[in-house]
Amino acid sequence: MTTDRPIIETAGLTKVFGANGTAVHALRGIDLTVARGEFVALVGPSGSGKSTLMAIIGCLDSPTAGTYAIDGVMVQGLSGSALARIRNEKIGFVFQSYNLLPKASIVRNVELPLLYAGVSRKERRRRALELLEKVGIPEKANVLPAVLSGGQRQRVAIARALANTPALLLADEPTGALDSKTGEEVLGLFQELNRQGNTVVLVTHDPHIASLAQRKVELRDGLVVSPEQKAA
Amino acid sequence: MFSGAFRERLFEAWVEIRENLGRSTLQTLGVVLGVASVLGGFSISDSQRKRSDERWVKLGGMDRMSVQPSQAVKDGQPTALQNANLGLRNEDAVEGEGLGATTTTGVSQERRARARVRSAYADQDRQITGIGGDYMALNGYTVEKGRGFTAEDFGDGRAVAILGAESASTFFPTGEIVGQTVRVGDIPVVVVGTFSEKVFRFRENQGNQFWWRNRIIAVPSTLVARRMSGDKWQRVDRVVFRFKDLNVMEKFGDGLSSLLLGNHRQQEDFRIDDIAARIRKRRSQGDVYNMIFMLSGILSLIGGGMVNVNIQMATLKERVREVGVKMAIGASGGEIFKGFMTEALLITTLGSVVGLLGGVAFSKVITSFLQIPLFMQPVSFIWAFVLASGFGFAFALYPAWKASRLSPMEALRYE
Repeated sequence: MTTDRPIIETAGLTKVFGANGTAVHALRGIDLTVARGEFVALVGPSGSGKSTLMAIIGCLDSPTAGTYAIDGVMVQGLSGSALARIRNEKIGFVFQSYNLLPKASIVRNVELPLLYAGVSRKERRRRALELLEKVGIPEKANVLPAVLSGGQRQRVAIARALANTPALLLADEPTGALDSKTGEEVLGLFQELNRQGNTVVLVTHDPHIASLAQRKVELRDGLVVSPEQKAA
Repeated sequence: MFSGAFRERLFEAWVEIRENLGRSTLQTLGVVLGVASVLGGFSISDSQRKRSDERWVKLGGMDRMSVQPSQAVKDGQPTALQNANLGLRNEDAVEGEGLGATTTTGVSQERRARARVRSAYADQDRQITGIGGDYMALNGYTVEKGRGFTAEDFGDGRAVAILGAESASTFFPTGEIVGQTVRVGDIPVVVVGTFSEKVFRFRENQGNQFWWRNRIIAVPSTLVARRMSGDKWQRVDRVVFRFKDLNVMEKFGDGLSSLLLGNHRQQEDFRIDDIAARIRKRRSQGDVYNMIFMLSGILSLIGGGMVNVNIQMATLKERVREVGVKMAIGASGGEIFKGFMTEALLITTLGSVVGLLGGVAFSKVITSFLQIPLFMQPVSFIWAFVLASGFGFAFALYPAWKASRLSPMEALRYE
């Protein structure tokens, strides 16, 4: 694996919802490249297409036209199970609403991606506990998500996202549901992870959060505007 | 036994079931009720049938065929041919036995008479049963005290008797019975033995269905024929054949029928009673009950399945979100499908086990209420289990398929 291969490389990415008369063009040809180790903020007002782009980058949805390669793998025309494999191995998701399984214990939530990757039960448990330690909540392993605070839940979600050491950490408004102090702490964790070499793409509408990233990519009406370079 | 992946999935399904205990319990309930009702229904009907079979065995076995005289009356008047007939004779029994020499294991004749029976303690008008051949074995009598009849008793028509339990206590309420003398009509007859009491209650609180069999006063049939109600044609009142093998009975019955018709001028003034056939018929009636029970079991399983689908619908939102999250972190549609099905398999198996236990308890309660012993066949367990698994799987397929086809994006956004 060469380090200069980009993590994300899209060309002419287009997404159209609906058909003919009622068609909505969410993306109108996105060319975006994210290199390994970058911290990119994807910003834009609602309706700009950033959520759609995030879904396509996350292999949750497929583009209408254009090409997309993640960590060197072209994703067009891949089967559902092949996409699931890519999501499992190469992408770690962090959602605004955490999306933890409410009835599963914290440690089991973190273990799940390892389960789908076919890691043995013992090894899963070991790595999940290690990850919980890494995000700073090792003592909460056996409780349910409901007893945790928002910030703690988001830390669990980040631990889960890191489970299979993915090529890309994809966060959708990760601080949207948190108060500003907790939000800062979570962002600090992302920055720390980035410093350790993780590639982070963060979707936000908050300019302050975007300013913490190395690079800001702004979307408007399905197009990238002013991809300005920011000093690291 | 299982591949590692399957074991892993089974474990995961078990964890999921425990995590969603309320939902799983409701889902299991449908299976439990269905299995319990199939097993319970089968077992109750089997117990009833077994009890009635036991009755036949106590009567001397099912492998018997009996022939009795019968009126072949047409338009209220016996035909001339029948009037000329002599009825069922000893000769019929002897020829019948010859006909089935290789297939019958025993034959008995019975010749009855009525007579006044007197002892020091009682004086009653009674039926006297003249027995011959293997009567005791073929009718389930065993000697309790004294001895049975010897070849000399039969051959010489000696005046000896064996008393049933009721007769014995009526005519000799106290003291030694064997060796005493009763007067049958004008003949002094020596009591050489007594039969053990015959008792059969279909339900424990019912009266003894065999009470009349304890009233027997058995003497050699030759004694009856020679000194009571005999005639030179050696007519008999009943002939019974016993067989080695139930399968030959029908063929023997056909042969016997044509033999007797030949002896009786083509008049059907006898009745052949194939006890095995009668029991087969009862069994096929029992099968109808089994069908009904199975149907009610199937209905409860369908009901359970519908409960299951309802629960799936009620928890749809929760489940769809769950599926969306799982897909986002790397579960494929196939994985989701297998997960749902494994869960269904586990729920069905657990439900079946509980249902089988419930069915046993249910049958036990009902049979003890009916006061008959409980009898369960392994095949009932298999049926209940197979039906439950079949329906459990069938009803799990649709939700599982539906879940596996969800798009991860839509599932995540599902509200």
